[in-house]
Amino acid sequence: MSKRFLRLASLLAVSMLILAACGDGDSSDTTTGGDAEPAATAAPSDGGETFEIFALLPQGNDQPYGTTYLPPFEAKAAELGLNVTITNSQYDADKQASECEVAVAANPDLIILWPAVGDTVRPCLEAANAAGIPVTVTNSDLNPEDQELSAAYSGPDTYGQGVASAEIFCELAGGEDVGIIMVNGLTGNSTAIDREAGFEDTVNEQCPNVTILARQPGNWNKDESQIAASEMITAVGAENIGGAYAADDTMVAGVIDAFKAQGIDPADLIITSIGNTFLGNPLVVSGELDGTVFQSSSWDGENAAVVAHQVLSESPSERIVLFMPSVPVTADNADDPSVAPEW
Amino acid sequence: MTEKQGISLGEAQGGPWNRIRRTLARRTEGRALALLIIVVIVTAIMEPIAFTAYEVTLGSIALIGLVALGLTAVILMGELDLAVASTLALAGVVMASIDDLALGIVTALVVGLLIGVVNAFFVVVVGINSFIATLGMLFFLRGAAFVLSGEEPVRLSDIDAGIAFGKPLIGGLTPRMLLFILAFLALQVFVTRVRAGREFYAVGGNRQAAYDAGIPVRRRIFTGFMISGFVAALAGIINTLERTAADPTAGSTVLLASFAAAIIGGVLLTGGRGSVFGTLLGAASLGILQVALTLSGVQVDVQNIVIGSVLFIAVITDPNSLRSVLGSARSFFRGRSRASPT
Amino acid sequence: MTQEKPTAVAPNQPDHDLSAAGAAGEKDATSRNVRVLDWLSQRGIFVFTILLIVFAAIFINGFASLLNITDVFNRAAPIGIVAVGMTFVVITGNYLDLSVVAQVATAAVVLIAVSNESTIPAAMGLALLIAVVYGFVNGVAVGVFKANAVIVTLSTTFIGLGLLRWFTGGSIYFGPQDGVIRSFGLAKLGPFPLAMLVLIVVTLILSWVLNQTNFGFLVKSYGSNREATRLAGVNTAWVVIGAFGLSALGAMIGGFVLGAFSNTAVSAMSTGFDFRALAAIIVGGTSVFGGRGSVLRTLLGVVFVSVLTNIMVLSGLTFGVQQMVIGALIVAAVSVDALARKAATS
Repeated sequence: MSKRFLRLASLLAVSMLILAACGDGDSSDTTTGGDAEPAATAAPSDGGETFEIFALLPQGNDQPYGTTYLPPFEAKAAELGLNVTITNSQYDADKQASECEVAVAANPDLIILWPAVGDTVRPCLEAANAAGIPVTVTNSDLNPEDQELSAAYSGPDTYGQGVASAEIFCELAGGEDVGIIMVNGLTGNSTAIDREAGFEDTVNEQCPNVTILARQPGNWNKDESQIAASEMITAVGAENIGGAYAADDTMVAGVIDAFKAQGIDPADLIITSIGNTFLGNPLVVSGELDGTVFQSSSWDGENAAVVAHQVLSESPSERIVLFMPSVPVTADNADDPSVAPEW
Repeated sequence: MTEKQGISLGEAQGGPWNRIRRTLARRTEGRALALLIIVVIVTAIMEPIAFTAYEVTLGSIALIGLVALGLTAVILMGELDLAVASTLALAGVVMASIDDLALGIVTALVVGLLIGVVNAFFVVVVGINSFIATLGMLFFLRGAAFVLSGEEPVRLSDIDAGIAFGKPLIGGLTPRMLLFILAFLALQVFVTRVRAGREFYAVGGNRQAAYDAGIPVRRRIFTGFMISGFVAALAGIINTLERTAADPTAGSTVLLASFAAAIIGGVLLTGGRGSVFGTLLGAASLGILQVALTLSGVQVDVQNIVIGSVLFIAVITDPNSLRSVLGSARSFFRGRSRASPT
Repeated sequence: MTQEKPTAVAPNQPDHDLSAAGAAGEKDATSRNVRVLDWLSQRGIFVFTILLIVFAAIFINGFASLLNITDVFNRAAPIGIVAVGMTFVVITGNYLDLSVVAQVATAAVVLIAVSNESTIPAAMGLALLIAVVYGFVNGVAVGVFKANAVIVTLSTTFIGLGLLRWFTGGSIYFGPQDGVIRSFGLAKLGPFPLAMLVLIVVTLILSWVLNQTNFGFLVKSYGSNREATRLAGVNTAWVVIGAFGLSALGAMIGGFVLGAFSNTAVSAMSTGFDFRALAAIIVGGTSVFGGRGSVLRTLLGVVFVSVLTNIMVLSGLTFGVQQMVIGALIVAAVSVDALARKAATS
C-alpha cells in the first residue's frame, strides 16, 4: 500500500517539477501551429506589420450566422495583416473563460471577444488588461459597467434588434388591441434574452395595446418553433391571436407554417422577426412576414477586423463604438439590394 | 474444464522485475498514462506554450477533472450519476441568488449534498436503476436552475470577491486548482486507505457478495452519491465565483467530458475497477489536449474531429479490448469461434 | 472482476423477471394483490399514458382537437423513430447511442442538400451509406474491441458533427417550397401526419425483428448474458454491429422525417435527441441493464413524453418548469414500477 502511495506521490511530484521547470519561460511570440487557417497566414498586403490576434467567439460553423460571419472576418483580417486564432465556445461561458485564459497566456497583440454570456466575462477582461492586451468586442456588447475594460465595440445591438422589430410591430398595429404569440431563442442564451427583453420592453412602452398572450422557446429551430407555435395557437385560441413575433427568421418561418397548417392566412396577421435571412426575406416579399430586421453577418465580421486593426494601429484614447444599423425590412424595401440577405 | 490431470499454474516467478510486471498488470491506469505521455509529447513539440503557461493548462485540467473525481466515487460502486451537470448549474445559481457570499457557498454545498441524498434514496430505497434516477434528476435540476434564475444568468452580489477568487493564491495556483488538488488527495486517500472508501470497490465488484460480507452497502451508496453531489456543487461554486455570475445553462459539456476522463482513466462503468488516480490522468490528458488545440488555431470543426478521434482511439486500445480483438482474430483465422475465457 | 448481470434479487436491482414469482402458484387473497401489482408494473406505462390522455382531454382546453393531435404526432415522430432504433442498443446493455445527434443532423442535411443538387433517391442512398458507416464503426468499436459504448458514441458524435460542419460549412439548407420533400412533410391522413405513419411502420418492422427473428433473439440474449451467448458459439460482434446498425437506420429515417417536416436542415437541429430518445425508451420500460425490452414499449414511451410536453405547452408552462416536470415524471414512472415489483415480491 505505502509503496503504491509513494509511487503516486513521486509521479505527481515529478510532473509538477517538470511543469514548473518548463514554466517561467520568457513570453515568446505566439506560434500558431502549422495548421492555421490559410486566410490568416497571408503577409500584410499594405506592407504594414503583422499582428497576432485571438478571436474568442461563441459560434462558428455550428450556426448559420457564424458560418457567414467567419469568411468576411478572416478575409478582412488577412488583408489588414492580422494573424487570427479563432475559438468557438458554443455559448458555454466556462469554455470561453478557459479559452480566454489560454489566449492571455499566449500573449497576442489583441483579443477580439464575442461574449458567450455577457455577465461572466469581466474576469477575462481584467486578466487581459492586467497583461496589457487590448480587447475589442464584437456582435454582443458588454454590460455597461464592463465596457471601460474594452477598447472598442462593433456589431449589432441584440437588444436593439428586439426594439426595432417591436417598433415595426407597433407601427403596424396602429392602436388596435392585438394579442400575439411569442417564440424565443434558446433558453438562457444571451442573444435570446436580449432580443426578448428588447421586444417586450418596447411593446410595453410604445404600444401597450399589444399583449403577449403566450411565449415558448423555439431554440432557433424551425421545426420546434412550428410545433410550439401550433400548440400556443391551440392554447390561446386562434380567434384571439392578431399577430406573432419570433426572435429570428428561421423560427418565424416555422410560426408561419403553423398558422397555415391551422388554416389561418399569415398575411392577415402582423408578424415580425429578426434577421432578414434567406428564409425570411422571401417571406417579407410574399407578404406573409410583415417585417424583419436586417442583420448583416458580413458587416459584423468585417468590422470586427477593421476595428481591431484600428485599435492596434491608432491606440485611441476613447472607446470606439460602431453600431451596425438595425435596418428594418418591410414589404417596402425587401427587394432593395442593400438589404439582400446574407445568411 | 473436462479431463485435466491437475491444474498447474506454473511456478510463480520471483524477482523484482516480475513483481513490478505483476503489479503493473493489475493497475488500470496504464492506458491513461500512455495517452497522457503521448499528449504531453505531441503538445510539447507543437504548442509548448501549453506548458510555459502551465497555470492555464492546470486550470483546464481542473475544470474537467473536479467533477470527474466525484463521479469516480459513484462509478466505482457500479452506479452512475448523470445529474452532476445540473447539480453544478443549480448550485451556482443558488449561491449567486444569496447576497451573503459565505452563506451562499454553504447553502450551495448543502444543496449538493441533498441532491446526492435524493439520488441515493431513489437508488437504494425505491430501487430504481441509478442511470434512470439521475437522468430524471438531470432534467429536473436543470429545470429548477432555470426556474430559480429566471432563465438568465444571475450575477454575484460581490463581484470583487469573485474576481479575487480567480487570481493565483499560492505560487501560480489559483483557488480552483488548489481545491482540485485537495479534492484529488482527499478522494484518493479515501478510496485507498479509508475502510469505507475501499469498500466502494467491493460494492461495485459484486454487490451480493458485499452484502454477504457485512458491508453496509446502502450507507456506502449514500456516501458515494453525496460525494458526487458535493463535488459537483463545489465545481459550480468555483465556476460561478470565477465567472462572477451563475449561468443556469452551465455544465453540459462537463458531463460527457468527466465521463470520458474517468473511463479513459480505466474506471469500469459496471463498477469495481479503476482508480481516482486514473481519472486524474484521464482529465490531465483531456485538459492538455483542449489547451493545445485552442492554441493551435485550427478550425473548430477539425478540433472536434481531433478530440473525437483521440477519444475513439484511446477507448478502443484498452488492453482488454486489444486482447479480445486478438482473440477474435485468432479464432477467426482458425475457422471457428473458440469458447475460451476472455 | 466485473459486475454480474443482475439475476439475483438484490434490493437495489429491480430489473429482474417477475414471471418466476407469479408462477409460484400461491392462490390466496394476497396473491391476487400480487397479480394486480404485477400487471400494473408490466403495463404501468400503458396505464399512465391512457390516464394522461384522459386527464388532458378533460382538463386541458384544446387538447382533444384534431389539430392538436397532429401536433402531438409531429412531436413524436422524429424522436420516436430514433428511439425505436436506439432501443436495440439499449437492449444489448450498451446504455445508449449518443451519436444519433450527429446522425440525425447529417441525414437531414444530406437529404435536403443533395436532393437540391441531384435527386432524392441519390440523397437517400448517400444517407444510407453514411448510416451504414456509423453503425459499422460504432458496432466494431463496441462489439469487437469491447470498448465502452458511451465513450465510443461520444467520440463518433464529435467526429461526425465535426465532419458535417466541415463539409457544409455549417450552412442552413432549404428545400424547394413546392418540392416532393415539402409535400411529404405536409401530407396527412386524417390527423395522422405521414411522419407518424412512418413511425408506426418502422416500429412494427423493428418489433418484428426483435421478437420474431433470430437476430432479435440474439440481441436479447446478448443483453441478458454476454458470456453465455458467446460461449454458445454466437458471433457476438455481429450482434452488436447489427444493433448499432439499426440505431443508425432509425436515426437516418428520423433525420429524413425531421428534414421533411421542417423543409430545412442545419447541423444544430438535432440537439438533445440523444437524451430525449433515451428518456422515451426508459419511460417505456426497457431496462437499462439490457436483455429485456420492447420496441412497442418505446413507442409508448415516446407517445407519453410527447403528450406530456404538449400538455405543458398548452398550459403555458415555462421551459424550466417543463424540464422539472419531465424529470420528476421519469423518476416517478419508474419508481412506481419498481415499488410495485418490490411489493409483488415481498
